Amino acid sequence: MNLRRLVLISVPYLWLVALFLVPFLIVVKISLSTTAIAIPPYTPTLDLAQGWAGFKDFLSQLSFDNFTFLTQDDLYWKAYLSSLKIAALSTLFTLLVAYPIAYGMARVPDEWRPTLLMLIILPFWTSFLIRVYAWMGILSDEGLLNQFLMWLGVISSPLHIMNTSKAVYIGIVYTYLPFMVLPIYAALDKMDESLNEAAVDLGASRLSSFWLVTLPMSRNGVIAGCFLVFIPALGEYVIPQLLGGSQTLMIGKVLWDEFFSNRDWPVASAVAVVLLVILIVPIVLFQRNQQKQQEAES
Amino acid sequence: MAQVKPQIVFDPWNDPEAKPLIECRSITKRFGDFTAIDNINLNIYEKEFFALLGPSGCGKTTLMRMLAGFETPTEGKITIDGQDVAQVPPNKRAVNMMFQSYALFPHLSVWENIAFGLKREHAPKDRIEERVAEMLRLTRLEKFARRKPHQISGGQRQRVALARSLAKAPKLLLLDEPLGALDKKLRQDTQFELMDIQERTGTTFVIVTHDQEEAMTVASRVAVMDAGEIMQIATPADIYEQPNSVYVADFIGDVNIIEGNASPMAGGPEGAINIAYAEGQDPVQAVATTPVAEGEKVFYAIRPEKITVSHQPDPDRANHAFGKIIDIAYLGNISTYRVQLASGKLISATMTNSRRLTRRAFTWEDEVWLSWTRTAGVVLTK
Amino acid sequence: MLKTLIPAALLAMCGTMAAAEEVRVYNWSDYIDESLLKKFEDETGIKLIYDVFDSNEVLETKLLSGNSGYDVVVPTGSFIERQIQAGVFQKLDYSKLPNSKYLWDTIKERTAQYDPGNEYSVNYMWGTTGLGINIDKVKEVMGDDAPVDSLSLVFDPKNMEKLQKCGVMMLDAPTEMIPAALRYLGEDPNSKDPKVIAKAEPVLAAIRPYVQKFNSSEYINALANGDICVAFGWSGDILQARDRADEADNGVHIAYHIPKEGALMWFDQMAIPADAPNPEGALKFLNFMMDPQNVAAASNYVNYANGNKESQKYLDKAVLDDPAIYPDQETMDNLYTVTAYPPKVQRIVTRLWTKVKSGT
Repeated sequence: MNLRRLVLISVPYLWLVALFLVPFLIVVKISLSTTAIAIPPYTPTLDLAQGWAGFKDFLSQLSFDNFTFLTQDDLYWKAYLSSLKIAALSTLFTLLVAYPIAYGMARVPDEWRPTLLMLIILPFWTSFLIRVYAWMGILSDEGLLNQFLMWLGVISSPLHIMNTSKAVYIGIVYTYLPFMVLPIYAALDKMDESLNEAAVDLGASRLSSFWLVTLPMSRNGVIAGCFLVFIPALGEYVIPQLLGGSQTLMIGKVLWDEFFSNRDWPVASAVAVVLLVILIVPIVLFQRNQQKQQEAES
Repeated sequence: MAQVKPQIVFDPWNDPEAKPLIECRSITKRFGDFTAIDNINLNIYEKEFFALLGPSGCGKTTLMRMLAGFETPTEGKITIDGQDVAQVPPNKRAVNMMFQSYALFPHLSVWENIAFGLKREHAPKDRIEERVAEMLRLTRLEKFARRKPHQISGGQRQRVALARSLAKAPKLLLLDEPLGALDKKLRQDTQFELMDIQERTGTTFVIVTHDQEEAMTVASRVAVMDAGEIMQIATPADIYEQPNSVYVADFIGDVNIIEGNASPMAGGPEGAINIAYAEGQDPVQAVATTPVAEGEKVFYAIRPEKITVSHQPDPDRANHAFGKIIDIAYLGNISTYRVQLASGKLISATMTNSRRLTRRAFTWEDEVWLSWTRTAGVVLTK
Repeated sequence: MLKTLIPAALLAMCGTMAAAEEVRVYNWSDYIDESLLKKFEDETGIKLIYDVFDSNEVLETKLLSGNSGYDVVVPTGSFIERQIQAGVFQKLDYSKLPNSKYLWDTIKERTAQYDPGNEYSVNYMWGTTGLGINIDKVKEVMGDDAPVDSLSLVFDPKNMEKLQKCGVMMLDAPTEMIPAALRYLGEDPNSKDPKVIAKAEPVLAAIRPYVQKFNSSEYINALANGDICVAFGWSGDILQARDRADEADNGVHIAYHIPKEGALMWFDQMAIPADAPNPEGALKFLNFMMDPQNVAAASNYVNYANGNKESQKYLDKAVLDDPAIYPDQETMDNLYTVTAYPPKVQRIVTRLWTKVKSGT
């Protein structure tokens, strides 16, 4: 019995170790190396064939220079800050768009809900890249949106959205919308409508009932959704690359440059490690939120 | 516990001068094709503990939600304290509701739950403190003020819900199956507590329940509902003793219904009739409170405890029937005998067990006489 | 980075498992006449697995990760220089490459600066980086005397201010753009001196606001559709845009000009990774592609010049006589090449490019 439990518990941990910890340690190791013209393009590499001596030799050659380097060029902290700003703002926009959708879904008659849920999930059935390319077709100067607005007569010359930060925000909000809608919907769906009636019965208006009851009740869903959007948006590369202009500075692009253009795997790894450290804060907060929620439900 | 104290009889419904707190005039509520409430008239008086009793789907909850303002009547008028409330939204009514699910705000503490309504009317801080403390005292929840709803027991949650709905001192408190979620023992204790609180606060309570025992215990008057209509409104005693229909008689407690044809009893007292119900059986002698035509089909409803079981017919009682005991339900203090008459009709009779079991007078297959008086049962025409 | 490792590892696994002889070739996308692939299989009986990439960086990362699983890869000259230093490739056994006698000495001399003695690689195609022009539109915004054959067309802000109305795209490649800007200034385009390189920044920053997008592939379609009127890009790509516009018959007329100041000349080199699973097969493929008729077919198809002198007999006249593909001697003399930047300088170049593009 105890053995069985041990096995069961160890499965997620093994998973974590194999798919997160080991790759992460490899990245940390590379971040402490220096570049070299070799395969792989950094040194020292861990030579296990030499046993303990090789390991000690390896350790003695590690250096933190790559991390100090990151502090010497304003590019890196500017890119981190800019990424944080873009991720935070797009999380906010996603929330503003997703909340009414989730709220509506949780309020419609039961028979509609599977269809609506389906519609939210449906975009996942197409490749992410195809969907982003479709947005290029919509947002470009000659794109559908501008054609439509000009046909309506709202604008006389095309709006420049494509290749600007606006397009990046649109792309992120669109891509991550389901990640925000679903947890909020789950929270609102669980919520007993009589709670709102009780609030109104006790003298609250419909609006204040929303603020005082519905919103706090969906808090965990909102928090979960925000993390699910914020965390991947922070390291986003594809969307700013395809929809954004070159002035959209994001850490994902800097990482790509370090890795591919400069062939500097160690610095690229250092950038990734710092990104992960930045992400650990919200991830830990998220974890705590989930735990508290579970405790509250049990 | 309810105190037994001498008091003046509380029966404002019998006082033509009394002004009802709530008046429902010809209320009809339809959801699409479905009529949930069908032309109901109802007066509820101040300080009353009024029960809406009926099976699920009878419209009692809809009626209550109309009083709270969550539904509007399709037709008819509701006035509360003389004011037509058609245009008054739920948050503006001096009516509070205790929800069946309690609907406690899970993210707020017990204290904050109770203070919720007071804060909405922007009561001064010390007034809120004072009132919440009073409510906590009333419901004996002082120790749990800082807890969240999920940290207290079901019974405590029920009391929080009650305290919250009473905090604003509403003119009318609506209670939707308030004890439904409690187990039986706790339910009985809580019934008395509810009555006590109702009496102490002097609030008008309207309770919705499907549990006739609960309604009979707590209410000053009971409205028995069926399929959107009110069948009878009366005190618990009248409902039990004087049901106005087979439905009410059957819904409240156990009853034997004897169906037969009425004929006036020659030389009997006023209203006395004979009810022929089976070939070869003596007709049941009864007293009808409403005039009954010759040969009219009637239902004679008689409670099991009104019938005595004996080896010989009881000469003091006018009605007798002979039959065989086919079943005995021993319930400790009482036993219910199921007696089959010659016609095959089954009659239940309840006797108190004043003697020890071993010396019990009757057993299975015994042939016995059932006896009851003329006024023991009621004559119903519907 | 793991993402790039995993497919390579999988591929390597597949390679060891397969029984029949295979050659795995990793080449640029749209860079061969596909009928040649079938022809190679028929002639040699070797199964050919042909895979494509679209950036030198992606190829290089695979190679530097090791065990790419490929037998033949086609990096560009300046990249191959560093990759040879890293020990990515194996020396070619010329005794098994009889067709190498057809190689063009002029090109061999130039590629030797990346791969001394051409020990590790042979040329596949070469081209230039220059100006793609929508003839009518440029005339429309700039008049008849537009400097369409000069770098000043795209490096003079006054010209760019006018051209932005009809749209300009440029390569998103600092190793192409910075030498061009230096050449425009009259500096050495191949300079590795950070002080000299820094001079390119104000030139590029001044035209930055007028550039619709820095991108290394979108300009083909944009030019062909008439969405932009000028592209600073690779010769073959621009000629491809020209052909597409002609096929679509959409009234767009594209021309490619090698700037009179001189253009960057680049070479895509075929090489065999040191850890190639089937180096013998790889040599057979190289020899096959050095067959004059075969490589002529490829050039006819992709509009790029090749490094095979003998193949010119089999080239379409339209290709051979097109100065955009095979420039005349005078133009040829004016072309320049660049070698790889040392790592420290490469970082300065990348940083400069980021600064130009993002302002940071």
